[in-house]
Amino acid sequence: METDPQPILKLTGITKHYRSKASLFGRAGKPIVALQDLSLEVGAGEILGLVGESGSGKSTTGRLIVKLEVPDAGHIHLNGADTPKLKGKTLADFRRNVQMIFQDPYQSLNPHLSIYDTVAEPLIIHGAGDEAGRRQTVCETLGFAGLTPPEEYLNRYPHQLSGGQRQRVAIARAMVLQPAFVVADEPTSMLDASISFQIFNLLLEVRREMGVAILFITHSISAARYLCDRIAVIYRGSLMETGPADQVINNPLHPYTKALIDAQPGFDCVEADRYDTLLAAERDPVGGEHCPFYSRCSQAVKETCATSAPLLEHGESDHLAACYYI
Amino acid sequence: MSLPDHPKTAARPAGLSVRFHWIRRFREGWAIFRENLIGRIGLMLLGLFGLMALCSFIPPLIDPMYHPMTGVDPAISHSTGPSLKHWLGTDFIGRDIFSQLLAGARIAFMVGLSSALISILLGTTIGMIAGYAGRIADTLLMRLADMIMVMPTLLVVLILASLFGQLSIWTIVLLIALFRWPGVSRVIRAQTLTLKQRPFIEAARVAGASHTRIIFRHIMPNVLPLSLLYMTFRVTSAIIIEAALAFLGFGDPGTVSWGMMLQWVWKTGHMFQAPYWLLPPGICISLLTLSFFMLGRSMDEVLDPRLRKEDTNR
Repeated sequence: METDPQPILKLTGITKHYRSKASLFGRAGKPIVALQDLSLEVGAGEILGLVGESGSGKSTTGRLIVKLEVPDAGHIHLNGADTPKLKGKTLADFRRNVQMIFQDPYQSLNPHLSIYDTVAEPLIIHGAGDEAGRRQTVCETLGFAGLTPPEEYLNRYPHQLSGGQRQRVAIARAMVLQPAFVVADEPTSMLDASISFQIFNLLLEVRREMGVAILFITHSISAARYLCDRIAVIYRGSLMETGPADQVINNPLHPYTKALIDAQPGFDCVEADRYDTLLAAERDPVGGEHCPFYSRCSQAVKETCATSAPLLEHGESDHLAACYYI
Repeated sequence: MSLPDHPKTAARPAGLSVRFHWIRRFREGWAIFRENLIGRIGLMLLGLFGLMALCSFIPPLIDPMYHPMTGVDPAISHSTGPSLKHWLGTDFIGRDIFSQLLAGARIAFMVGLSSALISILLGTTIGMIAGYAGRIADTLLMRLADMIMVMPTLLVVLILASLFGQLSIWTIVLLIALFRWPGVSRVIRAQTLTLKQRPFIEAARVAGASHTRIIFRHIMPNVLPLSLLYMTFRVTSAIIIEAALAFLGFGDPGTVSWGMMLQWVWKTGHMFQAPYWLLPPGICISLLTLSFFMLGRSMDEVLDPRLRKEDTNR
């Protein structure tokens, strides 16, 4: 898919630290770095896959984008507006344009609200249409999300639906306002494989019909390959590699990306095809500037990797990696 | 956990099945409740006292001399034992004890339920606000709750009563409510803190919901069952406090409550001379508070599956 040259979402130099609270007799603990100087762009109508392991800062990135949290440093621009500074009317417009699909459909729907109330809530909040119009919109969106016939679902409650149906409801809730940008935070990690596949296809259809840009957060590089136009690989809060999906998968540049691909189970797994970039035993961590992946990388060279962090500038024009040795 | 379609509900008109969720929850709760012996006894006792309170309007209609406060049997000028005319006897000026007992039930329900309702409203609102807002609002509200919690309610109300003279029954209700909300608010706050972290609250925030909307639309329905549970315990304590106040002579002199009856027994020196006068109000106070407590205990079991016995499905 052709992407707009003007990105709809632009993150520049985002840094986010989490600090443990200071106790009465002790000072605050060492801050945990969730994101370190992260820069990212998503074009209009593009699906960007953000891939990384647990604790790499993927979800934090998503939460920062939808303004559930504020960054310690850096700028987030959505359609040109600096989102952390938004207030009042412009904030309402922002909420209308940016939605999120959460990881666990068993937790992200209020058990006391019917499906109609759940999906209609964004419409009510933003004052869209009258009662009859809302009902119409909700039905259309539910039908679009694959819950047919929609009228059957309106008066049901989340506990009466299966996990896949709930996630469809969550997707309908995110889409009902026709947003320009959606963050999908591991939307299938709680679902089994065949349902996941249906949800992926639904997301693709959503993009095709509504032209919405999606940040797809996942730990599975194969899911990213199926769904995404571009892939960004994140490790300990820093981007390791970005590029078009097929290039990143077929020709990975960064040792961490290679390790992720190694970790993917396959049917015809041949040992010789493995990249083997992951160290069996981690190195002792080094102080000061160093590559975030240094302690686990089998390719690392002490003189360079342990003394300075490589920037995301190595590689070709649109396929970049943060590694000295590619 | 997916449930099969309910053909019955699908056929119902839309308006009915909107409330289906609540009805279903109530039915499920009722099924567990019915298995519970303590709950059944509590509910039966409560029904009995409810009937007494309802019937309290009848005796004055039969004959003005049965009016619990002003009705005096012209033939009697001292306390007499049970007779056909006065089932439980009369007090020292010839008023009917049975009709006083019925009126006392009405007052007990009134005091218990209304002060419990007010304290639950206060406690739930304050707890939700403290838990949701966090930071400084949380600290201030919870320290206030701590301060009120350590004050002995009875003592403070006694001091107020001696300062301002006789308090009316509604002032007493209000005072009890004002002193009994902190316990509720602490529980509701804790519940709100865990709810606040649930993704459906975050989903509402992403959708642009205001704080008021999140508190009343998303948090309140989830804490309400807990509030109702605490209400039964608050009823118990409100009835006891009112009875104690009345017995000590600080009740509303214009109402006939069980505590007031006990005070009259004691003041007129009939403590050991008239068991027919002393025992009924005492037993009623104990049984009514016990029944509310039993109801609360079994509701606790309905709401908290961990308290249920293994063999409830027998």
